Amino acid sequence: MASVLAFLSHCTFFSTANMATDFYSRQDTARTSTTWLVVMFLLAVVGMVGSIFAISYVGVEIYNAQAKDSGHIVNRAIASDLSSDLAYLPAVISLLLIIFGTLYKVSVLRRGGGTTVAEGLGGKRLFPDTQDPTQRQLLNIVEEMAIASGIPVPPVFFLENEDSINAFAAGYSPSDAVLGVTRGCAEKLTRDELQGVIAHEFSHVLNGDMRISIRLIGILHGILLIGLLGQIIFRVCAYGGSRRNSKSESNGIVFACIVAGLALIVIGFIGTIFGNLIKAAISRQREFLADASAVQFTRNPQGIAGALKQIGAVVRGSHLQAPGAAEASHMYFSKGLKGGLFNLWSTHPPLETRIRAIDPQWDGTFSETDTVASGFSADGAQGFAGDTSTTSPPAAIEVVDQVEVPTAVHQAYAASLMSEIPKHVLSAAREPYGARAVTYCLLLDREDEIVRQHQLQILTDQAEADVARLTHKLIPYVDQLDVRTRLPLIDVALPALRSMSPSQYQTFNDCFEKLAQADNQLNLFEWMLSEVLLTHLRPQFETIRPPRIRYYKLKPMTDPCSILLSTVAHVGQSAAKAADAFAVAAKTLPELKQLRFQSRDESGLTPLRQALKTLATVHPKQLTRLMDACEAAICFDGHIKPQEVELLRGISDLLHCPIPPLLPGEDISERL
Amino acid sequence: MTATWILLAIAILVPVLILMYAVGVYNRLVTLKNRFQNGFSQIEVQLKRRYDLIPNLVETVKGYMAHERETLEAVIQARNQAVGGLQQAAADPGNAQAMKALAGAEQGLAGALGRMFALSEAYPDLKANQNMAQLTEEITTTENKVSFARQAYNDAVTSYNTYRQTFPPVFFAGMFGHGTDASLLEFDSETIAEAPKVSFS
Repeated sequence: MASVLAFLSHCTFFSTANMATDFYSRQDTARTSTTWLVVMFLLAVVGMVGSIFAISYVGVEIYNAQAKDSGHIVNRAIASDLSSDLAYLPAVISLLLIIFGTLYKVSVLRRGGGTTVAEGLGGKRLFPDTQDPTQRQLLNIVEEMAIASGIPVPPVFFLENEDSINAFAAGYSPSDAVLGVTRGCAEKLTRDELQGVIAHEFSHVLNGDMRISIRLIGILHGILLIGLLGQIIFRVCAYGGSRRNSKSESNGIVFACIVAGLALIVIGFIGTIFGNLIKAAISRQREFLADASAVQFTRNPQGIAGALKQIGAVVRGSHLQAPGAAEASHMYFSKGLKGGLFNLWSTHPPLETRIRAIDPQWDGTFSETDTVASGFSADGAQGFAGDTSTTSPPAAIEVVDQVEVPTAVHQAYAASLMSEIPKHVLSAAREPYGARAVTYCLLLDREDEIVRQHQLQILTDQAEADVARLTHKLIPYVDQLDVRTRLPLIDVALPALRSMSPSQYQTFNDCFEKLAQADNQLNLFEWMLSEVLLTHLRPQFETIRPPRIRYYKLKPMTDPCSILLSTVAHVGQSAAKAADAFAVAAKTLPELKQLRFQSRDESGLTPLRQALKTLATVHPKQLTRLMDACEAAICFDGHIKPQEVELLRGISDLLHCPIPPLLPGEDISERL
Repeated sequence: MTATWILLAIAILVPVLILMYAVGVYNRLVTLKNRFQNGFSQIEVQLKRRYDLIPNLVETVKGYMAHERETLEAVIQARNQAVGGLQQAAADPGNAQAMKALAGAEQGLAGALGRMFALSEAYPDLKANQNMAQLTEEITTTENKVSFARQAYNDAVTSYNTYRQTFPPVFFAGMFGHGTDASLLEFDSETIAEAPKVSFS
C-alpha cells in the first residue's frame, strides 16, 4: 500500500513539473511512467504470487496436521514428503498465468491495432465520400489536425449509438492509430470545440500515450485471470466434492481446493483493484498533459474548455454504453464510465479541475454554455455537480503561459495547405482507387525527362489500365502542386491506401517500388517520400518487427550522427554555411567529440540510409536529442525550407520518433 | 498424491487455455467480419454516388433523345431497383440472398445503361455536349472505383470464409454465430463458367 501511495504522489509530481516543459519531455515522461508502471505491476504481481504461496503453504500444513490427527501413518509420510513441493505449485501456475495472459492480450491488441478497439466499441468507419455535413466536418478537422501534427490521417470511427460526448484514440503507434468519436460529440459541439477534442486525442498519439494504454489493458488482463482461475477452481471443487465424498482423503483435498479457490478470488480481486488504481493514476496525469498540448496545437483554449463544459451540461455527459467500454476506460477524452466513489479510481481528473486548468476565469457553472446546440436539455448539470471536487487546478498558470505563445499556427497552416490542393486531386487521394494514382504521380521524376518517360512506361506495363489512365489525367495537376503539399497529400492518401486488400496491396507495392527505383539513383526526397509512405503502410499488411534497441547512449553512434547531421546541414544551407550549421548542431550533443563534418559528396543517400538504419537501434530518449540537433541545424539560418521539413519528417518517421512539424517559411528566431 | 495434484493443475490449466483460445477465435472472427463489412461500405459509398449521377445523366440525354423514352424509362427503373437492392444488401453485407439481388439489379442497370449509351452514338450533338461528356466520365470512374472496392470486399470475404473453415476455428465458428459463409459480390460474369467437359473417348 505504501508503495502505491508513493507512486501516486510521484504522478502528481509529474503533472505539475511537466506542464511547462516541451514536447520531447512529455514523450519521455510517457516512457518513464511506463517504467514506473512496470515496476508497480511487478510489485503487485510479486505480492500476489507471494500471498498465493503463503496460503498454499498454510493449506498444506493444515492438511498434514489433519492427516496426523486421523492417524493415517502412511498418509502422513507421503504428505510431509510432498508439502514443500505442493506449496510452490499454485504460485508457479498463477505466475505463468499472469505472464501468459498479459502477453496474449498485448499481442492481440498490437496485431489488431486501434481498429480492433474501435470496432469492439461499436464504431463504424467513416468514409471521405460521406454526404452528411457533420461527418464531413469531423473528417475535415481530423485531416487538418493530422497535417498540423505531422502524422498520417488516422481512420475515424463513428460511434453511432453513443449519445454522449466522448472520443478516443487507440492504436500502438501513429501508423495504426485510429480515432473514435461519438455521435453526440460530432453533433453537439461547435467546430472549435470539436477541434479541441480532436487535438486532445492527437496529442495522446504524439505523446506516446496509446502504447501505455495498450500495455495497461494487457497487464490488467493478466491479473484478472487469477480471479478467473479462482472461480474455476472453486466451482470445480465445490461441485466435484459434493459428488464423491466417500473417501476422507479426497475430502481433505477438496476442502483445500475450495479454500485455495476462494483465496485466489480474493487475491485476484485485490490485484484488480490495485491494477485499476495504478491505471487511473497514470491516465489522469496523461489527460492533463493532453489538454495542455491540445491548447498548444489549436492556440484556442476556448475550444477544448467549451467541449468540457458541454460535457458537464449534457444529460448523458460522456458515459459510453458499449459493453466493452470498461476495458478501455482510460483511453477516452472524458470519463467513459459511471460511478467511481473515490477520485483515486477515476481515470480522468474531475471535469471542473480540467476546465479550470485551461480557463482559470471560469465561473464554475455548466448551464451558461454559450453554444448550446439544439436537441439537448441542459438540466442534467447536477449529475456532474455531485462530482465536484475542491482539488486546486494543478499548474494552471503554466498552461496559460503556453497558450499565449504567439507563434505561427500549425493548424491554420494545415488548412491553407489543403486549400492549395485542387479539389479533385484531394478527393482522389481520399479513396483507395484514386489514392494509388496520386501516389504514383508524386513519385514521377520532375526533372529528368528520360527517367520520367521510363517511369510512365513502367506504369503502363505494371499498373492496372484504368489506374494508369487516371494517373495520366492527374499528372498535370500534381506537377503544379507546391512541394510543400507533397507530404500532406501522402498523409491524406494513407488511410485510403490502408483499406486495400492484401492482394491489391501486393500489386500496388510492386508498382510503387519499380517507380521509385526507376532512375537507379534515387533522389533524396523521392526516397524520403517513399519511406514515409511505406513506414506507415507496411505494418497494415506485413508483420514488421520494430528495431530492437541495442544502444542506450549516442557515443558509439559518432559516424552515423555525423552523416545525418551533415546531410541535414547540406540540404538547408549553402555550401559555405553548411559547416557552421553542422557545428551548431554538434554543440547540442557534447558527448560526441569526434563528430566530423562530411562534404556533400560523402553524405549521399546510401550512407544516410545505412546511418538511419543503425540509428534506429538507439534508445528513443537519445534519439529525441538527436532530433533536437537536426532541428538546430535546420534553424541555423533562421529560415525553414520545404525540403528541410520533408527531410526532418522522413528522419523522424524512420527513427520512430514522432515530432510536431516545423513549418516551411516559419520565422523561428523566437523558437531558438 | 503428487499425481493427483498434477492432474488437478492440468484440469485447471487446460480449460483456461481452451477458453483463452476460444476468445482468440471469437475476436478474430469478429475482426474479419468487421473487415468485410467495412469493405462493403466502401462499395456502398461508390454505388450510391453512381445512383445519384444517373438521374442527371437521363435529364441531360432527354433533350436529345426524346424518341427513346422507353430506353430512358428503363434506365430509371433499373436504377430505382438497384437503389432498393443496395439498401437491402447494406443492411446485411455478406448475406447470400441480398448479394444476389444486388448483383442482379446491378446487372439490369448496366444493361439498360449500355443500351442507352449505344443509342446515344447516333446523336452527334449529344456526344458533343460538355455536360454529357463529364457525366459519362464520372460514371466510368465510379464504375472503376466500384470494381476496385468490390475486389477488396471479395478478398476480405474470402479470408473470413477461409478462417471460418480452418481446423480448430471450425469447431467454434458455429457456436459464436459465424456458422455460414459470407457471400461474394460478383457483377460481371453472371454465372461461374461451367467446368470444361473433358471426354476420354
